[in-house]
Amino acid sequence: MENRQVALITGCSTGIGFDTALLLARQGFWVFATMRDLKKAGPLRQAARGLTLEILPLDVDKPASVQKAAASLLKKTGRIDVLVNNAGWGAFGALEEFSDEEIRAQYETNVFGLMRVTRAVLPAMRAQKSGRIIHIGSLAGKMTFAGIGLYCSTKYAVEAITESLRLEVRPFNIQVSVVEPGQINTRFKANRHKAKTFIKKGSAYQDVMNQVLNYGNQQSAKAPGPENVAGTILKALQAHRMAVRYPAGFDAEWFPVIRWFLPDVVYDLLLRWMYRRFQRRGQ
Amino acid sequence: MKNQSVILITGANSGFGLACAKALAEKGHKVYGTYRNFKKAEPLFELSRSLPVFPIVMDVDRTPSVQKAVSLIFKKEGRIDVVINNAGFVMAGFLEDLSDEDLKAQFETNVIGILRVCRAVLPIMREQKSGKILNIGSVAGFASLPGLGAYSATKFSVNSITEALRMETRPWGVEVSEVNPGEIQTSVVQNARMGKKVMSPQSPYTPFTRQFEEVSKERFKKAAPVEKLVGVVLKALEDSPMKRRYLVKADDYATYYLRWLLPDALWERGLGVMFPWSRFPKI
Repeated sequence: MENRQVALITGCSTGIGFDTALLLARQGFWVFATMRDLKKAGPLRQAARGLTLEILPLDVDKPASVQKAAASLLKKTGRIDVLVNNAGWGAFGALEEFSDEEIRAQYETNVFGLMRVTRAVLPAMRAQKSGRIIHIGSLAGKMTFAGIGLYCSTKYAVEAITESLRLEVRPFNIQVSVVEPGQINTRFKANRHKAKTFIKKGSAYQDVMNQVLNYGNQQSAKAPGPENVAGTILKALQAHRMAVRYPAGFDAEWFPVIRWFLPDVVYDLLLRWMYRRFQRRGQ
Repeated sequence: MKNQSVILITGANSGFGLACAKALAEKGHKVYGTYRNFKKAEPLFELSRSLPVFPIVMDVDRTPSVQKAVSLIFKKEGRIDVVINNAGFVMAGFLEDLSDEDLKAQFETNVIGILRVCRAVLPIMREQKSGKILNIGSVAGFASLPGLGAYSATKFSVNSITEALRMETRPWGVEVSEVNPGEIQTSVVQNARMGKKVMSPQSPYTPFTRQFEEVSKERFKKAAPVEKLVGVVLKALEDSPMKRRYLVKADDYATYYLRWLLPDALWERGLGVMFPWSRFPKI
């Protein structure tokens, strides 16, 4: 057990975290899969039989919970080689309509929570002069879409944090990357709690939101599952030098390239056309 | 822009906000400049004696304060044509050195502050079926530096928020854009804050933070006068429709296009010239 690389992964009850925890455990990592609510640990526990995978409670929104989980991990292993900052959720809605509390809640998990866990493991990684941190960003961190602007803004922040942190910790031989999934097929109903929709009664933005939600639903049916993202994470961990970003999935890889070529005016028109098309199909 | 527009500028008591208020008032517009602290607002009151500038108290960190100021202006003028979201500050320091509170303070003003002002003015602008919102971003909004991660993260978020608002409010003819200035002689350096742990002897990053400070001091020696930024803002407000983003100086354009054209690895190598300690250690 001592030679195994120790990996801490947040948000493992479903989706990307779930698949990544299993994949890394199968690859011989000593995985600490964490989740907010241990009541949801059943499926993971079942799938991880015979693997070196332990489940810990960790709520990235709560400093005490983060400290406790990190301390109990370090006490057990004495080291930490990999951190996968996966916990996050998406707030859907028009930017005008979010209350302060809703905005703060979104940032609390996706940005402050991510930094909280990172701060908790960095001293150990600096002491051992090695370590790898992977943030789960999103295609939405490279491109903004109407109706999910708040989520996009948190993921843009993650991109900036990755770019800065990467250089800041490099003298200590710690590597940082961001893995950017595109649309993921939400096969499990349980995954849907990760996106909350905030549309106020009599909202002026009802039209826009309908377009966005229709578009999202239709795309996600065709999208690849989270195992694809887990594979990308493994690829990053196996690289000698991790790149800044790893897009995961066809859309995550090619949308930014298309965006890169197009002037703003053309891009705006394209988006409008796309939303309209999907609204018609959705009716 | 109409001949006598009603303009709201946040953070107008010093630096760019003040210069911008003066320039716009000289053109005959009615400028409402906000300040947070009466003791620091003397230059703004001084200006109000000779020009149509109206100082008004507003703390962008507080929703009631924002709502109150905006409704006061609306009651008096019956419309608001232009909003310049300028209030913001720099939280300097390496990311591990910044506490939860530091990060939250940074996002509370730079990101949620903008959303708060937008939430207050957008119903008015949608009703009058016109309006311009200009966010003051930064070059750090598309190029993140070590030692400036938190600030960059907020400005990346602003980047995304601008784009989302642009799409969402277009049906009502409301235009949203941003200016991304680089080093300008404003009060941004004097107003910069630092995390408590930053530059302390306990921090392992202190030597790097010092070097970062030297590099940025060197860069700010070549900072452009504030009039240049004011000129760009005046031009942006004349444009109809406003472009997606406005840049200010030649080296901002250089940064923007280099970041756009260079692959991540090459871009980082460039930063390695600026910050030699951030190169990959030779193993």
